[in-house]
Amino acid sequence: MIDFSQPTPVILSEVRQLTPTRRELVLNMGPQHPSTHGVLRVRLTLEGETVIACDPVIGYLHRGVEKLGESHRYAQFVPWTDRTDYVAAPSNNLGYVLAVEKLCGIQAPERAQYWRMIMAELARLASHLVWLGTHALDIGALSVSLYTFRDRELILDIFEKFCGARLTTNMMEIGGFSREIPPDLPEMVREFCRYFPKAIRQYEDLLTENPIWLARTKGVGIIEPDVAINYGLTGACLRGSGVNYDVRKAMPYLLYDRVEFDVPLGTHGDVYDRYLVRIEEMRQSIRIIEQCLEQVPTDGPLMAYESQYVIPPHKNVMTTAEDMQRHFIWVIKGFSPPKGEVYHAVEHSKGELGYYIVSDGSPIPYRLRIRSPDFVNLQSLPYMAQGAMLADIVALIGTIDIVLGSVDR
Amino acid sequence: MSEPRPVPALTATSPWDTTGYWGPTDPEQHPAVRLVRERFPDAFREATVFRDEMTIRVDRRALRDVVEFLRTHPELRYNHLTDITAVDMLYLRERPRFDVVVQLYSIPRRQRLRVKCGVDDGETVPSLVPIFAGANWLERECYDMFGIVFEGHPDLRRILLPEDWDEGHPLRKDYPLRGYRDYVQPGFESPAPRIRGTLRRPGP
Amino acid sequence: MGMSTVQSHPNIITTTADWVFSWARRSSLWWLQFGLACCAIEMISSAMPRFDLAERFGMLYRASPRQADLMIVAGTVTKKMAPVVRQLYDQMADPKWVISMGSCANVGGPFDTYAVVQGVDQVIPVDIYVPGCPPVPEALYYGVLELQNRIIRYERLKQRYGLEAAEADRQEQREAARAALGPRSSGAR
Repeated sequence: MIDFSQPTPVILSEVRQLTPTRRELVLNMGPQHPSTHGVLRVRLTLEGETVIACDPVIGYLHRGVEKLGESHRYAQFVPWTDRTDYVAAPSNNLGYVLAVEKLCGIQAPERAQYWRMIMAELARLASHLVWLGTHALDIGALSVSLYTFRDRELILDIFEKFCGARLTTNMMEIGGFSREIPPDLPEMVREFCRYFPKAIRQYEDLLTENPIWLARTKGVGIIEPDVAINYGLTGACLRGSGVNYDVRKAMPYLLYDRVEFDVPLGTHGDVYDRYLVRIEEMRQSIRIIEQCLEQVPTDGPLMAYESQYVIPPHKNVMTTAEDMQRHFIWVIKGFSPPKGEVYHAVEHSKGELGYYIVSDGSPIPYRLRIRSPDFVNLQSLPYMAQGAMLADIVALIGTIDIVLGSVDR
Repeated sequence: MSEPRPVPALTATSPWDTTGYWGPTDPEQHPAVRLVRERFPDAFREATVFRDEMTIRVDRRALRDVVEFLRTHPELRYNHLTDITAVDMLYLRERPRFDVVVQLYSIPRRQRLRVKCGVDDGETVPSLVPIFAGANWLERECYDMFGIVFEGHPDLRRILLPEDWDEGHPLRKDYPLRGYRDYVQPGFESPAPRIRGTLRRPGP
Repeated sequence: MGMSTVQSHPNIITTTADWVFSWARRSSLWWLQFGLACCAIEMISSAMPRFDLAERFGMLYRASPRQADLMIVAGTVTKKMAPVVRQLYDQMADPKWVISMGSCANVGGPFDTYAVVQGVDQVIPVDIYVPGCPPVPEALYYGVLELQNRIIRYERLKQRYGLEAAEADRQEQREAARAALGPRSSGAR
């Protein structure tokens, strides 16, 4: 029999008496806390209810994804990218496969690129819906999360139709897609696009002019534009402060230069502005998806046809000896990109997601670095928390939109 | 009776024509390369291009000055620190062992640049925290994962691994993927039956 | 239900009260709101309108381990997190139950690395293992229903043969479930 009565070390708070009248309290928040969005731990130094210092402690979900990437072949690593940021898995797939494609010098066909854009934008919506639901839940608006998760299920249905999985999709492959798009999928996405603007109006009815929401978010957690740039923030955290940097506009990848959309910018850089920016981003995503559905060719190849780097089409594997050999080598040995190093960034729902790959000419990446947006964005928490009230901390954690799998990797 | 071979769509001469994103591909014409070479003739090592991505290599002691120069020079204005990371070059060359890689981005000019410096075990790199506040955690992560010491960092301690981690730095190439020790909870010394894994990275 | 007929205590009032407690324990499991990784998102999804796990099974999530009697370990347990998981388990009041949700919590999943504990059953005892990466909400349903069966069995044995027999049977069940997972990879090199 195993003895379960062993005590474990306790991490608790402490009180420091500064002067006879002043004392500060070091308060531990997390890693198990309902509003730290996972396993974030924050050590807060408080005087009364005012936060003097804030020290985020991360790493409770550090799983060694980069080391795994340096131990597996290029095509094998795609499933782990799902699990770094698990609320927007297709965006992570996209960043990785684009980096590898850049390294190999190949490009997916036009049709695959459109479908990649559609899936990435749907992932952005799914991620923003999780953010909105949990952020509102932390601040006290319980009912919003019921609405957002209701609508998120519709997006997950589309993912499930497309690739069979709801959350960890593993949908993109190096070179495009190796399976055909389900014939009724475009209609499903169109249906969703017709429905979703109404849902956004519902969320806005609940929050945008709600006096409690305004009181909890306006003027809280202000980041000035120069500070935001200095911290290296990206995504809505940067755009909420009024800095116009969106990777989709600044250095368009895929076919983002063929669709029209606006980049919403905030003015004050507080929690409320970031909320407005993300709400508007959801509308713009719908716009992008609608344009993609109009422009996407109905048939055509989905997979790039290159000699060495991509898996050959299934039909050719079964009919031609040459492709059967290629398929065999691709599966058994993997492929070897040229020596070199690339950095490729995509606009993830949380900011700039970059993959930096160093290749030594072997089938395994020599170095695989994930520049995750929320790891960098989370650094601004101590800056925002300085002088804030204790109750604002949950609003600040929510507004950065972190996913601990992506922060800790 | 084989099927006609599918033709590649979007036939471009260079599918990744990203010249605008990283500046001119010729190092001689790249403003950052030219200006850094003029300003730091001793520290500048080389400029390389791969897939149109411009990388300049400098001496490790001058890293902070070079980055500060790149940030403040009115022609360059690389004002956004995208990433700091390191590469363990153990299998690729003799010395120095690590490369510290700094990715910069210029928001007004919409251009990227990569700055590298070699650093050996036991040597230090000047910290970028005085220039970019965002370098703080990125350098801590480098220290945690590679053991590279950043001189002048205000708070250099482990960030992702537990602070009492005593097994070294996991992203070094000589560190095994599965680590050296299992986690043992008191009372659980004889866990479930285990098999030895076979997954290994092929050697150099 | 048949439960009141199998008990053999002389005092009908206390035994009926026992039965009521047992019924209540099984049908109003309060679970510790404790998300670790990807599976936590599916756990939240299953509590949300489409799947509605909480309302259907009388479940309710609590933020404090003192008020919870079920811990759903949803996600990867890292070496840094393992002492915290253990501490939360120790803080829960008896009788407490554990569902290990997803491959990571079962056996380490795809993360066979230096930082990950290869299965939460090396830290706390686990009653039900739900496979999947992540498990769909329906799979979590199935796990919860299996757990309810396990609780019925436990309470019935406790009434018939006493607490120790029930605990021994529970331990046997845990070992059987653990053996059914099969061998797993060794953590250290």
